[in-house]
Amino acid sequence: MLRYLVQRLIGILPVLLLISVLVFAFVHLLPGDPARLVAGQDATEQDVAVVRTALGLDRPLWEQYITYVGNVLQGDFGTSLKTRRAVSDEIGERFMPTFWLTVISMAWATVFGLVIGVSSAVRRGRWQDHGGMLVAVSGISLPSFWLGLLLIDWFSVRLGWFPTSGYGTWAHFVLPSITLGAGVAAVMARFTRSSFIEIAREDYVRTARAKGVFERLVVWKHVLRNALIPIITMVGLQFGFLLGGSIVVETVFAWPGLGRLLVDSVSFRDYPVIQAEILLFSLEFILINLLVDVLYALVNPEIRYR
Amino acid sequence: MFSFKKAAIAGALLLSVATPAWAAKDLVVGVPDNLTGLDPHNANDTLSQSASRLILQGLFGFDKDMKLVPVLAESYEATPEATEFTIRLRKGVKFHDGTPFNAQAVKINFERLANPENRLSRASLVNMVSQFTVVDDETIKLSLKEPFGAMINNLAHPGAMIHSPAALEKYGKEVMRNPVGTGPYKFVSWQADTLKVAKNENYWKQGLPKVDSVTLRSVPENGSRLAMVQTGEAQFIYPLPPEMASVAEKNPKLDVISKPSIVTWYVAMNNLKKPFNDIRVRQALNYAVDKRAYAKIVYNGNADPMDSVVPPGLPFYAKQQEWPFDVAKAKELLKEAGYPDGFETEIFAGNNTTSIRAMQFLQQQLAQVNVKLKVTPLEAGVAAQKIWGVSKPEETTVQLYYGGWSASTGDADWQLRPLLFGESFPPKMFNVAYFSNPEVDAAIKAGLATADKEKRAEAYAKAQEVAWKNAPWIYLGVERLLAAKSKSLSGAYYLPDRGILLEEAELN
Repeated sequence: MLRYLVQRLIGILPVLLLISVLVFAFVHLLPGDPARLVAGQDATEQDVAVVRTALGLDRPLWEQYITYVGNVLQGDFGTSLKTRRAVSDEIGERFMPTFWLTVISMAWATVFGLVIGVSSAVRRGRWQDHGGMLVAVSGISLPSFWLGLLLIDWFSVRLGWFPTSGYGTWAHFVLPSITLGAGVAAVMARFTRSSFIEIAREDYVRTARAKGVFERLVVWKHVLRNALIPIITMVGLQFGFLLGGSIVVETVFAWPGLGRLLVDSVSFRDYPVIQAEILLFSLEFILINLLVDVLYALVNPEIRYR
Repeated sequence: MFSFKKAAIAGALLLSVATPAWAAKDLVVGVPDNLTGLDPHNANDTLSQSASRLILQGLFGFDKDMKLVPVLAESYEATPEATEFTIRLRKGVKFHDGTPFNAQAVKINFERLANPENRLSRASLVNMVSQFTVVDDETIKLSLKEPFGAMINNLAHPGAMIHSPAALEKYGKEVMRNPVGTGPYKFVSWQADTLKVAKNENYWKQGLPKVDSVTLRSVPENGSRLAMVQTGEAQFIYPLPPEMASVAEKNPKLDVISKPSIVTWYVAMNNLKKPFNDIRVRQALNYAVDKRAYAKIVYNGNADPMDSVVPPGLPFYAKQQEWPFDVAKAKELLKEAGYPDGFETEIFAGNNTTSIRAMQFLQQQLAQVNVKLKVTPLEAGVAAQKIWGVSKPEETTVQLYYGGWSASTGDADWQLRPLLFGESFPPKMFNVAYFSNPEVDAAIKAGLATADKEKRAEAYAKAQEVAWKNAPWIYLGVERLLAAKSKSLSGAYYLPDRGILLEEAELN
C-alpha cells in the first residue's frame, strides 16, 4: 500500500509538467493582447508598448515558458497582470472560501443524496421513490443562478434571515451552499438509487435473503457497501469540480473564491493567474483520484493494492 | 408597585433608543467589479479611481456635476500660449501619516508619474511637462515642452492624485496596496473583493467626513447587488440595471438616482472603406436609425439622443441639429450614392447583453433601408486585437463598430482628440472611424494650443460643427446613469463618468 502510494505520488510530476506545457501554449494562443487590456481602455499606443516591455510579453514564447517553469519550481508563480500582486497571494486569499464552501456543500449534499437514493431504491415504485426522484429531478433541472437569486429574494430580502451575499460568518454559507449542493445532491440521489437497485439484483444478495438474514442487514451491509464503490467515484469527481470554484454561485453570491478569479482572469487575459489556477485544479483532481482509489480499498477488501 | 422586570425592559428600551447616537456609522457600497489597485498613477478603471479618491486627492478634481474645482490647489495662472502653469497650493494640509503637503510633495509625485522608467500607465497625463519647479513651499511651476491647453484638466484626472512622499519612499510600487493621501478617509484594508477605509479625523475640510467608515464590496450579479440595498446590507449600489429600476422605485426605503452621464454611444463607420467613404451613405444611415427607439429598446428609456459629438455634460459642448428619423430620405440618399438596393456589411461590438441588444436593434433598423447587417459580438481580448491592435488602417477588418466613450479628463479634448483626430487612428488611439478632416484636425490642435477658455470654446465649437455634419458615426445616444441608495443616505454622488464621490456622505 505504501509503495503504491509513493509510486502514484511520483507519477504526478510528469503529468503536471505536461499540463503546464499545454496550459502555457493554450493560454498564449488565445487571441487578444494582454498588454492592451492591462494598459486600459483609453491608453495610447505608447502606453501599451511600455506595458508590454514591463510585463516581458515582447520576448519569444519559449523563453517566457522556460522562465516560467524555472520560477514555478522555486515556488514563484509570477505576478498578476491585473493587480500586479503575487499570484500565490491572489490564489491563497481565495482558496479557503472556495474550499469551505465546497466541503460544506458536499457534506450536506452527499448525506441528503444518499438518504433519498437509498429510500427511493428500497421503496421502489412507491411514493417515497416518486417523491425522492421528483426532488432529484428538480435539483438537477434548476439553473443555479435562478435558484440562488430565488433564495436571496425569499430568505434575505423578504424574511431577512441570511445575508444576501459575501463571505464572513456561518450565516453567509447557508444560501450559497444550498445553491451549490442542490445539483450535487440530486445527482447523488439518482446515482445511489440506480447503483443500489443494480446491486440488489446480484446473486449474493438473493443468497443472503435466502439464508434468512434480516432485511435491514441485507440492505446496509450487503447492498449499500457494494453500491458505495461507484458512489465514492462520483463524490470524488463532484468534489474535484466544486473545488475549482463554481463560477455561477460565486458570482451570484459575490463569493471571493477561485471561480470568480478564473473568470476575471480569463476575460482580462491574466496569463499567470490562469496558468496557476489550472495547475492547481489539475493537482487537486489528481490527489482526489488518489484518495478515491485508497477509499475503494477501505470499503472493499477485494481491491487491495500491493 | 415596583417591578424589576418592567424597569429592565424600560432600561433596555432606553438603551435601544439611545444606541444610534453612539453606533458607528458604517457606509457600505455595492460595486460591480473588483478593484485593480489603489495607486491611481497606475490604474485604468473608473472603479479603482473612485476608490483611490476616498483616500487620495489631486491638485484639482471634479465636483458632483463634473465641474472642475481646485482641491489641493488654491489657484493657478497660465501663460497665454499654455506652456507654463504656476499653481498655488493649499496651506496646512497633512497626509494621513503626518507628512506635510507642499510643493516638494507635488514635485516628487509628478516626477514619479512622468518618469518613463517607472512605467506608470497614467504617465501621459503629465509627460508633456519638461520641468517641475518648486518656487516656494506653496507654489509649483510646470514648464511644458509644447502648448497644452487642457493641462489643468489633466491634473484634475484621478490619475494625477498625490501620494504621501514618505509612503512612496517606504512602499515603492506597493503603494497600490498601502495608499497614504490627504483625503477624507484613511486606508484600512483591501482583501479579495472588499475595501475598507476609516474616517480621517484630521481632514482639512471642517466637519467632514460624516461617516466613520466606508466599505466597498464587489458584487458582480445585478440582482444580488440590488438585494443588498433592499435588505439594508448596503446603502448605495451602482450601477442599477435599467430593467430593475422599477423594483427599486417601488421600494419605500430606496431612492433611484438617474442622471445624464458623459458616456456617448455611437456606431463608428470606417470612413476609409467602401461604402462608408461616401458621405451620402453615412448620412443615410443616420437618417435610417430612430434614436428615440434606440433609447427605449436598448436602455429602457434611460438614454437621450446625441446632439453633438461631445456630450452635454462636458465643457465646450456645442449643441447641433439632431439627425431626424427619416427612412424615405435615407433611401433617397442611398440611391444617389449608387446603392438603390442597399448593401451588406458587418458590425463589431463587445459581447455583453446591452451591446448585443444594440446591434440587433441596428440590424432591424437598417433592414428598413435594405442594409443587411451581420452582427458579430467580440470578447474583450479579441476586440483588443481586432479593433485596437491593428497596425495599419488598410489592414483593419472593421466596417462598423458599436461602442461607447467617456472622457475621463472631463474635457472636450479627451472626447475629440482620441476619437476624431486624423492622427489618432488605432493602434495609436481610438479613431476607429478612421475619420480625418483637415478642418476638424486644425480646430482640435487650436483647442490645445491655448489655455484661454474663450478661444478653446471657439475651436471646439468649430470641431463639433464640422465633425457633426460629416457624420463619421451613426449618432445614437448619451446614456443616463442609474444607481439606488437608501433614503437614510445623503451626500453620496454618482458622477457622470460612472465614478462615485463619498466625501460628504452622511447616514441618518
